[in-house]
Amino acid sequence: MQEHAATPRILVAEDEILAALAIEDELLGEGYAVEVAADGQAALEAARRRMPDLLLTDLRMPRLDGIGLIRALRGMAPLLPVVVMTGYVPSDGAAAFRQDGEGPVALFSKPVDMDALILELRRLLPLVG
Amino acid sequence: MSSPLVGAWPPFLAASGFCSLVSPELAWLHLLSDLAIGLSYLSIPAVLLVVLLRRRDLAYPWLVGLFALFIVACGLTHLMHAWTLFSPAPVLDTLLKAITAAISVTVAVTLWPVLPRLLALRSPAALEREVMERRAAEERLGTFLANLAEAVFVVRVHPDGRLQIESVNPAFERMFSVPGEGLAGAAPETALPPPLAELALPRWRKVAEQGAPMEYEITADLPSGRLTWQTVLVPLRGADGRVERLLGSARDVTATRRLQAGLVQSARLATVGTMCAGLAHEASQPLNTASLWLRRARAAARGLPEAERAAFARAAAVVEDQLRRAGDLVARIRSLAGAEPEAAGRFDAKEPVAAAFRLAASEAAAEGITMTLRAADGPLPVQGSAGRLEQAMMNLLANARDAVIERRRNQPDAPASVEVALAQQSGSVVVEVRDSGVGIPEAVADAIFDPFFTTKDPGRGIGLGLPFAASAARAMGGRLEAWNRPGGGANFRLELPLADAGAVPAGAGAVPA
Repeated sequence: MQEHAATPRILVAEDEILAALAIEDELLGEGYAVEVAADGQAALEAARRRMPDLLLTDLRMPRLDGIGLIRALRGMAPLLPVVVMTGYVPSDGAAAFRQDGEGPVALFSKPVDMDALILELRRLLPLVG
Repeated sequence: MSSPLVGAWPPFLAASGFCSLVSPELAWLHLLSDLAIGLSYLSIPAVLLVVLLRRRDLAYPWLVGLFALFIVACGLTHLMHAWTLFSPAPVLDTLLKAITAAISVTVAVTLWPVLPRLLALRSPAALEREVMERRAAEERLGTFLANLAEAVFVVRVHPDGRLQIESVNPAFERMFSVPGEGLAGAAPETALPPPLAELALPRWRKVAEQGAPMEYEITADLPSGRLTWQTVLVPLRGADGRVERLLGSARDVTATRRLQAGLVQSARLATVGTMCAGLAHEASQPLNTASLWLRRARAAARGLPEAERAAFARAAAVVEDQLRRAGDLVARIRSLAGAEPEAAGRFDAKEPVAAAFRLAASEAAAEGITMTLRAADGPLPVQGSAGRLEQAMMNLLANARDAVIERRRNQPDAPASVEVALAQQSGSVVVEVRDSGVGIPEAVADAIFDPFFTTKDPGRGIGLGLPFAASAARAMGGRLEAWNRPGGGANFRLELPLADAGAVPAGAGAVPA
């Protein structure tokens, strides 16, 4: 994991370990710094150690679910951009995760279109250089 | 015995018992009184006789006759008295008196037992009062019937079995949208709307023939729309025991039945929704992982020699294609759960319906199917997702088109039309899609909104179109129902609650991300 101060960091919360590995691979390939957590609680602990520049999270996870994780992290960093990947999209869409005055939330349903996801990540979190 | 007082005139006072008539004046008075009484007694029975002849409905006519006889007899005895002043006729006089006595005793004896019955007879004043009371009661009943919410009708049953409408109340006219003035006296076969006559008359005839009350429920497409009503039909018998009339009362239960069907459909869709949500979620995980690893595999294959890389690319394309197909299916199943991220807002139902109609009409025209759209004037605001409603309409129209094509396969000359009607009906926006297709088989009518249920040939539909339309209706607080049309084909009715009055924004805005 090569990283220096300017490399944007993405925290990936995904309990499907095989999916998490592939995503980590993709994001590293794109040039992001990546930290993978196996559930919401692990992601929260990782964020407490070091707040990421973007959260990429699943919704249904053991211990702490995606919504709880988003609320906890937004409590610490309200402008944190969030990308949600889920197999079950709430009926009111991205509005379910976002409160007024907070950073953007993008929503992707599974199976995730990885090309579209990477485009969105680049928009939310431009790579320097 | 002769009186010395008797001269040539006054008359010869020879009758026994008149010797006390000491003066001619008294004798005259006696004679004239007897004549007056006798004549009066003859006149009174004449009056009684006229009454007896004219009023055949008298309570005791024989009693009146007996009275007349009694009075005649009494009159004759008085006339006899007058006669005996001039010429004594003791035998005739006595005989007449005896006859009168017999008649008098008969009348006296007969009268006593009749007395209680005579007293029980109501006086004309009492009768008049009763008539007034009955008229008032009749008027109250008339007002009651005129304002009753239930439709009331009276049908006359002729001895030959012919039925004739005798009267209907205003609720009947309203419920079945028939003008009342044309109904009274008319034959139901011609006066009632055909679907109503077709379904109700066999039941009317049965009650007329069997003479037992009957309760039934009918659903029919009337000129005013689809109606479900419950009827209680009671036979009214005449004195001879024959069923002379049918008294019917009908209650409109359309809204109740709709509500019940809606609740059943809603419960069913809720179950389906939960199942679909779970299925979509669980199936999306492995599909997601597989898609992500296919990308990894592609990346890893970049280092392969040219020929192997091409072979791998072909294989990967097939896998990707199949994963996408499975992903699309998951997306469609997910949409049944009503959980697609979409903008909800107020919009004019006309817009998505017209948009879906335009798309479908151009396709249908190529198939030789006539499509028409009739819409009420003015906006029809509803609350929900315009995109979802458009998709639901696309599904309904595709379903109608397929049904028409299927019917035409077997009957090339069958009509090929799809009508779409958009209207406002008491707090709801109603979209009806009527096709001239094969209709819904009776046996599967309950299953057509179940996911993956289809009557189409394999490859022509997977059975998610109608469930989606039903689920979209439910998500907007409405419902979808379907039935077969009397002339063939199906009628789908999508009902959505009318949004509160207010401005209708054009289209639905996006939710800020």
